[in-house]
Amino acid sequence: MTIGAVALGSAVATAMLGAMLDVGDRVNRELRSLGANLLVIPKSGSLPVEIGGIRYRPAAKDEFIPEALVPKLKSIFWQLNITALSPSLRAQTVLDGREIPVEGVWFLRDMRLPGGASSIQTGMRALNSAWKIEGRWVEDPKPNDGARECVLGAALAKRTGAAPGSGVILFGEPFTVAGILSTGGEQEDRALVRIEVLQRLTHRIGQVDAIEVGALTKPEDAFALKNPRQMTPVEYDRWYCTPYITSIAHQIEEALPMAIARPVRRVADTEGQVLNRVRSLMLLVALAALATAALTVWSVTAATVLDRRYEIAIMQATGAGNWLVAALFGAEVALEGATGGLIGASAGVQLSGWVSQTVFGIRAEASPLLAPMVISIAVLVALAGAAQPLRRALSLDPALTLREGA
Amino acid sequence: MFWRFVLAAVKFRRRRLLLAFLGLAVAATLATTLFSVYSDIDRKMHREFRAYGANLVIAPSGNARSVPLTAVAEADRLGVVSAPFVYTVVAIGNERVVVAGIDFKRAQPLIAHWRTSGAHTAGQGECLAGIAVAQHFHLRLGDRVPLDSGRCTLRGVITTGGEEDNRLIVPFDRAAGEAGFSNAASMIEVRADAERIEDTREALQRAIPQADVRVLHAIAETEANVVLKVRTAVFLLMALILAITTICVTGNFSALVLERSREIGILKAIGAPEARIATLMLSESMILALASAIIGYAIGLVVSYGIGQKIFAGAAGVNFAVFLPVTAVTVFVAAVATLASASRIWRIEPAQILRGE
Repeated sequence: MTIGAVALGSAVATAMLGAMLDVGDRVNRELRSLGANLLVIPKSGSLPVEIGGIRYRPAAKDEFIPEALVPKLKSIFWQLNITALSPSLRAQTVLDGREIPVEGVWFLRDMRLPGGASSIQTGMRALNSAWKIEGRWVEDPKPNDGARECVLGAALAKRTGAAPGSGVILFGEPFTVAGILSTGGEQEDRALVRIEVLQRLTHRIGQVDAIEVGALTKPEDAFALKNPRQMTPVEYDRWYCTPYITSIAHQIEEALPMAIARPVRRVADTEGQVLNRVRSLMLLVALAALATAALTVWSVTAATVLDRRYEIAIMQATGAGNWLVAALFGAEVALEGATGGLIGASAGVQLSGWVSQTVFGIRAEASPLLAPMVISIAVLVALAGAAQPLRRALSLDPALTLREGA
Repeated sequence: MFWRFVLAAVKFRRRRLLLAFLGLAVAATLATTLFSVYSDIDRKMHREFRAYGANLVIAPSGNARSVPLTAVAEADRLGVVSAPFVYTVVAIGNERVVVAGIDFKRAQPLIAHWRTSGAHTAGQGECLAGIAVAQHFHLRLGDRVPLDSGRCTLRGVITTGGEEDNRLIVPFDRAAGEAGFSNAASMIEVRADAERIEDTREALQRAIPQADVRVLHAIAETEANVVLKVRTAVFLLMALILAITTICVTGNFSALVLERSREIGILKAIGAPEARIATLMLSESMILALASAIIGYAIGLVVSYGIGQKIFAGAAGVNFAVFLPVTAVTVFVAAVATLASASRIWRIEPAQILRGE
């Protein structure tokens, strides 16, 4: 009975704590579909004069980020937190008598990581999973794929009457429209091509105008708002080693000295707020679960001891000291608690995996610290539950208890 | 006679009953808190997404360069937040800069993510500068910015990480005048209720057929997705918690019956029918359940109020309507627990029990 109750209690406690830790991380990943939260642009002496992607003053020729350095973003301290990056090159051309912005991008391609044989798949599609395409994307894993293809923004397509499969002339060269992109934003007025194509057409081989970065971050707290330049060395290390949006931006600037990295406040702040709320919500639910679990364990152990007061009386009557009886019961309860806790913790890990699977479609990995923690809590709570009734039973005169039971 | 039995049971078996009562009261408290939080979770999660600003934009369609301001009135009629923006290029000496005109009063909820030093809004003859503009022209708060179309006093410097960083921001009317717009804007941003976003889009599109009303997919999809997932997670976890509470309470209540085999034996020996004994036990449980539901409900309200204040600052998480479900759950659990163990009443042999076996 006790073992069962402890097992049940610890199962729920483990599942909740596991889920609590997991749901925050999962939601953080779901929030990445908001798009880039960091924008990396060349350090510039000039001010961009640009509305809706149309430049009213040509960009300075010497301001760019070399495309070859893009993979360096995945070599910073928080490289694993960078989930997607999307370099782009901008230009404009005339289509149907009107100036339109053209963007050269990585649609979705393998990027070789610096200093290793491994590579990751990234690009504009990886960064903006909420965007919708009618038709298909331009394929660009290999150098010559999709060279004569483009994707048109929905508003632009509507204005020019283009549809997937039709042709348009960009920079005097014919392109096939692979798909029509709807995002709701400025991209709807643009044409997108592979970055190599635009680099060749604009004679800017190997150059990139901006890199959009999606990073998993820790919501900014009071500490994050301190100015890193005024921090003590210890504080600076702590800041540097925390995945705040500002510290990741700082590390990107260290990796690419010719660039500045700006947090996109609209996205970063929304992520922070939502994440904080989700975390506290999960904490609340976990506390409720812990309270229930503790109550179950406590009340069952209390009831068991209450039921066994005759045994206690007999032990006392045959000369056992209070300490001996208490030790005997304590050991028993602790053993039961540990066994129940073990069974429960392993069941709980499965349970939290199931919750994660059901909600997010990915199984959670339980923290290895969770089980020992829950088991020790289970033992402590079981002991606490046993303590009060035990003390009461010990304080009674055995003779009275035994006569009552007769 | 019946009620004397019930009341006497409460009086003489205080310890045991207290345990059962406590268990059930905690269950009711948890149920109240969780129901309160859950019933409100959508609204509260959507609130957090407001930091993002607009989720709909009204943009010029086809070859048009502007959107009529009637769209703002239309958005007001639909009860959604909206603000017009106008963009134009203005000269400062021999340099040029993009000027954004913003109706600060309307746009406030849409630009909450701006980080500003100095003022958040600009009045007549005043302006704000994006951080890149301020750095480029070496502007400080209080400086007179020498726009060719007339100077303005710099009231604030903003950082957003977006295009605003490269712009000078002035009140809407001034920029509209410079762009040559009358009763028109470059675009209009709208923040619609996330649940009714598609309806709002259609209504606006019908009212302003000459413009293009678009849903910002990134925010709309992410918001819907995250809210749904958080709600599902909380629902599953809540169900788990209530399940374990039920098991715990069931144990307590079964013990109430099991412990009293001797009494039941006596009652049977003096000729009480089994159904009547079961009714007796059930009434006892019901009284207990009602009492704990009420106490648990009261405590739960206080707890969820506290949570509302702490977690969802400001919005009280109290929902009085949860009383019925809470009472129903509590009474149901107690009844099931009692009935589950009541089958024993039929199996008890008075002679054996009273002999002490």
